[in-house]
Amino acid sequence: MSTSISSLDQDFPRAIVHVDGDAFFASCEQVMNPALRGKPVVTGKERGIASAMSYEAKARGVTRGMALWEIRRVCPDAVILPSNYEAYSLYAERMYNIVRRYTPIVEEYSIDECFGDITGMCASLGKSYNEIVQSIKIDLEQELGVSFSVGLGSTKVIAKLASNWDKPSGCVVIPISKTPAYLSQVPVGKVWGIGKSTAILLHRYGIATAYDFIMKPPAWVAQKVHKPYQEIHAELSGRSVLPVSVDTKRTYARMQKTKTFTPSSCDQSYVFAQLSKNIENVCIKARRHGCRAQRVYFFLKTQSFQKHGIELRLDSATCAPMRLITLARIHFNNIWQGQTMYRATGCVLLEMTNIAPQPDLFGGHIQREDTENLGHIIDGIAARYGKHAVYISSSHAAHERTHVGSRGDIPRRMSHSLPGESVRKRLGIPWLGVVQ
Amino acid sequence: MVIMQEKIQQLRQFYDAHKRLPSYAEMMVLFNFKSKNAVAGVVRKLIDNGVLAKDGRNIVPAQLFEGVRLLGEVQAGFPTPAEEELVDTMTLDEWLIKKREQTYMLTVSGDSMNGAGILSGDTVLVERTSNPRVGDIVIAEVDGAWTMKYLRQKSNKFYLEPANEKYTDMYPSEELTIPAVVIAVIRRYEH
Repeated sequence: MSTSISSLDQDFPRAIVHVDGDAFFASCEQVMNPALRGKPVVTGKERGIASAMSYEAKARGVTRGMALWEIRRVCPDAVILPSNYEAYSLYAERMYNIVRRYTPIVEEYSIDECFGDITGMCASLGKSYNEIVQSIKIDLEQELGVSFSVGLGSTKVIAKLASNWDKPSGCVVIPISKTPAYLSQVPVGKVWGIGKSTAILLHRYGIATAYDFIMKPPAWVAQKVHKPYQEIHAELSGRSVLPVSVDTKRTYARMQKTKTFTPSSCDQSYVFAQLSKNIENVCIKARRHGCRAQRVYFFLKTQSFQKHGIELRLDSATCAPMRLITLARIHFNNIWQGQTMYRATGCVLLEMTNIAPQPDLFGGHIQREDTENLGHIIDGIAARYGKHAVYISSSHAAHERTHVGSRGDIPRRMSHSLPGESVRKRLGIPWLGVVQ
Repeated sequence: MVIMQEKIQQLRQFYDAHKRLPSYAEMMVLFNFKSKNAVAGVVRKLIDNGVLAKDGRNIVPAQLFEGVRLLGEVQAGFPTPAEEELVDTMTLDEWLIKKREQTYMLTVSGDSMNGAGILSGDTVLVERTSNPRVGDIVIAEVDGAWTMKYLRQKSNKFYLEPANEKYTDMYPSEELTIPAVVIAVIRRYEH
């Protein structure tokens, strides 16, 4: 018994599980609607590109980011659906909650992925690490009806590699003693967090696989690459340095909202309304996380995908849309080019801070506080009556219409309100449609 | 505190069984410790947290059992009915939904289950399950659509029975896929 425990500690000084929904959005659509079972399903119609595709669609050559016209060419019978984020987030919430049955330390990494730290949970759950990950997978698949790939490793980077090893519906456990065998099969550029340019750099030093990378001593790594890659090196070597972070309130360096509209437009007031709505939305997000921006970047994207933008420093940190919209209006003419068709606008908040701004000597803060309070009042109304129950008038045209034509299709659920629901305030239970 | 909770739980169980607190020697066994010193450390923490208290040299339970309210503490006036009953309340959500992660909604269309009191326009709550029982109202997948019927069995063969004479029983041609069973019917009357 004592020997097995010590080998357990050596193989898993930490035990981190990574859970990844397989073709998540498309799988949610298929489990909610039996008519889609076994068919090539693609989501992302409203964006004009594939955001997720079912395994049937992947097999036919549809890839992430592929344009709709191209999808129709390679896979004419593809069912292309507008994204139903309302349902996907309900499923995601359930995924996190199921993992929380096994550990309180769960990081909601994204809408279709999460990490859980199950170190030391064997005794209280009466299960081995192996059994815990299998049990998580069974719960997820039985209760949600969607397939998941689950991986266990001694660090987040290895756990992520494990869940990705045997997709779809994989369940891979990589103890430290077995990592070399796995890492020698992984090109270094495929490791989570290592981008193209870093991969090229590492190749130059003769590092082709993740295993080649961990064979380099930390001192060498510290000399050649920046800190994030030193952390990946440690994680791949089995030393956990990236904690599973339970704080949903992550500190953001930047936040962005951008939206494409169809058809493209050269109507100045309509394009400005779109920008204004993005400003409002990014400010709602900033307020939700209790942070303010010190710099802001507005941009317009032309039909030929060219970006024209302007970046401004704010005299005090803010999350008040009125201030930003006023600024945007002043500078809009600098980025607006007549005779040009625009397809999207966006607003990026930069240098975000959680620290409340200081009062200034000349009383400017009093007016600023008033506009900020207005934001919180708007949030209060939204909490009660639904998002965008009130909005700033300059965004009106964008609230009226964003997409015309088939891209304006709305998800099934959006056009079907249950008694007592409004478009923006819904029951928090997935709706599977109509039953005869 | 999680570890302390476990200790508190062990103390409660001992108290329930013996109607007294364990001695230090008994706690060594209970907590699986090797020294009384370690026990003393735990006891000190529990006293600091107000779970146990000192009575001279002895230890007595202070708030070992939470949630037990004493009517004697009411200072003035009559105790309210709620205090006397000591009932807890639940929300409609808790009442209707037992397994939150497995519960889904559907909107009813048609009159095939009228006899079961389920009408067109009703909302049904269903629970995903891998073993529906005969007699349950189930959600089945038939020809790429959802159907809601009674699950019946006749000589080892499962079939679906509507609750309306206008419709006939449905015998599956292949495998019968039943992802969920109905756990509640909700009808809202708008005012």
